[in-house]
Amino acid sequence: MTALYVLDVPENTAVAKVAGQDPDVAVAKLGPYFEITADGAIVVDRRATGCRHAVWYSCVAGVGGGEIVQHDKDALRVEPR
Amino acid sequence: MPLEPLEHKVRGVDHAAFPTFDPVATVRFYRDTLGFPVVHSICAAGWGPEDHPDFIHFFFDIGNDDRIAFFYYFGLEPVHEAPRGDAYAGFGPDTPEFFVRSRHLAIHVDDQDDLLEYRRRLDASSWPVEMQIQHETIESIYTHDPNGYMVEFTRAMRPVTPQEDLDATLTIDALLDVVGAPEPSFGKLLARKAELIVERAAAWELEQSR
Repeated sequence: MTALYVLDVPENTAVAKVAGQDPDVAVAKLGPYFEITADGAIVVDRRATGCRHAVWYSCVAGVGGGEIVQHDKDALRVEPR
Repeated sequence: MPLEPLEHKVRGVDHAAFPTFDPVATVRFYRDTLGFPVVHSICAAGWGPEDHPDFIHFFFDIGNDDRIAFFYYFGLEPVHEAPRGDAYAGFGPDTPEFFVRSRHLAIHVDDQDDLLEYRRRLDASSWPVEMQIQHETIESIYTHDPNGYMVEFTRAMRPVTPQEDLDATLTIDALLDVVGAPEPSFGKLLARKAELIVERAAAWELEQSR
């Protein structure tokens, strides 16, 4: 399983919300972090989040069981290892 | 890491010191353009085992009683002729620009009115703002002082939250683990940090709610 951790601060909430719009992705809280999990890939569309670049490129707190294969101006994509 | 944090007793920046070859422009910039008061100076005859020049060590208040200070050495010529860099150090074409631009002094202001006031002062001078950025968490303006030192003015868009301190702690613990092992990478850091989040984040939150 792939887990993407995002710190729960105001500018990051849209990242978790957009990630959770995929029915195959679950979003829970682990302490002050969003724990975003999926059996397959987790994909977040940057424009849907409204994040500007500085926040977008620093919103990932941790990646468990997978790796980031795309993190550019279009999307963040985490795939299972 | 110690089990109990060491007592934190320091009180900010007494002074950060830099050499200058142009005290006139330095005073024009810090005192006359920015309005930073001159708060201290030392006129010192050269002494010591080295052939130390006579010098003036002068200080400007940067708020909060913190200070930026300069050394002007009589008779000393610039120490390098590199096209990039500042009074202290020069860089050749092999040094990446992001590296040259990494070292800077960031001065805090309370709000946007104050930030824009310093923008107005700089833009009316020989050292106009080179870049203004704003995103979700900070707004900053940047210029270079007459010595080539990069100076930033910055304001926070929101207060720092307690969870950011936890996150910083986990980042640094993960960083030390990753750079202590072969071939450190950002991916390895995020993997290690995920492990630390799983280990510690829930307990941290419980502790906060007590």
